[in-house]
Amino acid sequence: MAEVVVPIGPHHPALKEPVNFKVVADGETIVRLELDVSYNHRGIEKAAEQRDFVRVVPLLERVCGICSHSHTTVFVKGIEEAMKLQLPPRAQYIRTIVAELERMHSHFLWLGVAAHEIGFNTLFMWTWRDREAVQDMLEEMTGNRVNYGINEVGGVRRDLTTDQIQAALKRLPHLEDRIAKYVDMVNHEQTMMIRFRGVGKLSRVDALKLGAVGPTARASGVDYDIRKDDPYIAYADVPWKVVTDTHGDVYGRTLVRIGELQESLQIVRHCLENLPAGPIKVTSPRAAPKGEVLSRYEAPRGELVHFIRTNNTDKVERLDIRTPTLANWTSVAVSLVHQNLADIPVVVAAIDPCLSCTSRITIVNERGRKTGELTWDELSAHGRAFYRNGRRA
Amino acid sequence: MSELLKLEQVARAMEGIGTPEAVKANRIRVPTTPAKVKEAVRRALTDLACDHVVQIAAVDNGKAFELIYHLTGPHRTVVAIAIELPRDKPEVATASDLLPPAGIYERQIHDLLGIVFVGHPDLKRIILNEDWPANEFPMRKDWKPNPNTFYGGVRKEAT
Repeated sequence: MAEVVVPIGPHHPALKEPVNFKVVADGETIVRLELDVSYNHRGIEKAAEQRDFVRVVPLLERVCGICSHSHTTVFVKGIEEAMKLQLPPRAQYIRTIVAELERMHSHFLWLGVAAHEIGFNTLFMWTWRDREAVQDMLEEMTGNRVNYGINEVGGVRRDLTTDQIQAALKRLPHLEDRIAKYVDMVNHEQTMMIRFRGVGKLSRVDALKLGAVGPTARASGVDYDIRKDDPYIAYADVPWKVVTDTHGDVYGRTLVRIGELQESLQIVRHCLENLPAGPIKVTSPRAAPKGEVLSRYEAPRGELVHFIRTNNTDKVERLDIRTPTLANWTSVAVSLVHQNLADIPVVVAAIDPCLSCTSRITIVNERGRKTGELTWDELSAHGRAFYRNGRRA
Repeated sequence: MSELLKLEQVARAMEGIGTPEAVKANRIRVPTTPAKVKEAVRRALTDLACDHVVQIAAVDNGKAFELIYHLTGPHRTVVAIAIELPRDKPEVATASDLLPPAGIYERQIHDLLGIVFVGHPDLKRIILNEDWPANEFPMRKDWKPNPNTFYGGVRKEAT
């Protein structure tokens, strides 16, 4: 059959921002993939150059709704490095607690999205319910469910009271049980094993060559994790291990994320139990001396980088943000080649793209010279029917 | 995890390219010239075992454009290869053939700063929308939005 181009996007209700994929397909098999992320450029890097360090932090919190704490932490730690500030350990621990809770709610969210893409909506409902518990913890600690507003240059803005710490510790055993349940499920549940195994395969060599980061790379046996490689905030003080896997497919990425849920929970527990006493911030100077900082951070989706240039003023001269999704994109484009059209939702979802998606697909039928549309639900239904009929290639 | 790269190791690998300096224990910066950047990247990949491109940072410092290629590897040291490009002719050879992920970063830099990566297979728009005027690069310091230019979104007449 001749190759056809299937444009997907730019609108899709399941994810957050718009993106357009041009999928070149030969029958059911994908030949090539192109990406266009130009639908939601907000000029944040330019806007960041106009604001002082107090006003730029809330702006950066809004780069992403899920990784809001990641973007502020990576930025303030970069500015603190430029200012040569020594932060009180209590501030670093509080940042770590919020960071790991953010990773947990992000991974729960991902697990739900992935389950939904394979038509396993029970798991989707369960993980999102558990995610609520994590969000409640975040709300109790920071006052907010999404943009926590906890970071500022020089420390954190809210302290944790003994009551808050006790309340948070009480919530952890339930979450621990739930995560153990998912560990069990991923090893036994037929739906997950059939739809995740062997899908979106990425070898270790390719993961390195194509610059994959985060759980996508770690599922292919690459043990890069910035929390270990270039420890920041409190990670050097906390006992934890990097989770890797060698499956290299969507199944491996699921195992890595569930493993990270377990690790994150232990990091949160350790930090809550061993929260050092003392102040939560230091006074920071208004301006940062001339300098250049490469600030790296392990966001839930992978390595997040803020390159910061300071120039003796209270504003940045340049802020260059490299997000994990952009780094992972090259690897998705490769791992989808020779896969089935029906697997696009789950393979794309497997890198946990923090961009966006699709509300419709234009199906171009070359022989009939007809153009029709498919909603995301119809594509998902197509994926389910394709597997139900046992037509797996 | 192997040991951090030492300054002498980098100096040896980058002989004839530039003199490296240690910015931090795990950051080594190698300033060089645009003509030698490709050779520098190649040597970082082979002689210094760098297998991961962290970021290609692009800066307009007011006088010239700077590109800083941040690479790392199992040694967890970030090797930063820094070059400066003149404003009137911002051209440099692409690194996308050596580093596939650089392809997407170079497209982004081309979009925002107008730096041309010679030899890039597909240097088309990725970040800015399709209505954005050609030859306007918003991250340049001397760029000002023109009130009469259409930059995308909904046209005034349409509302």
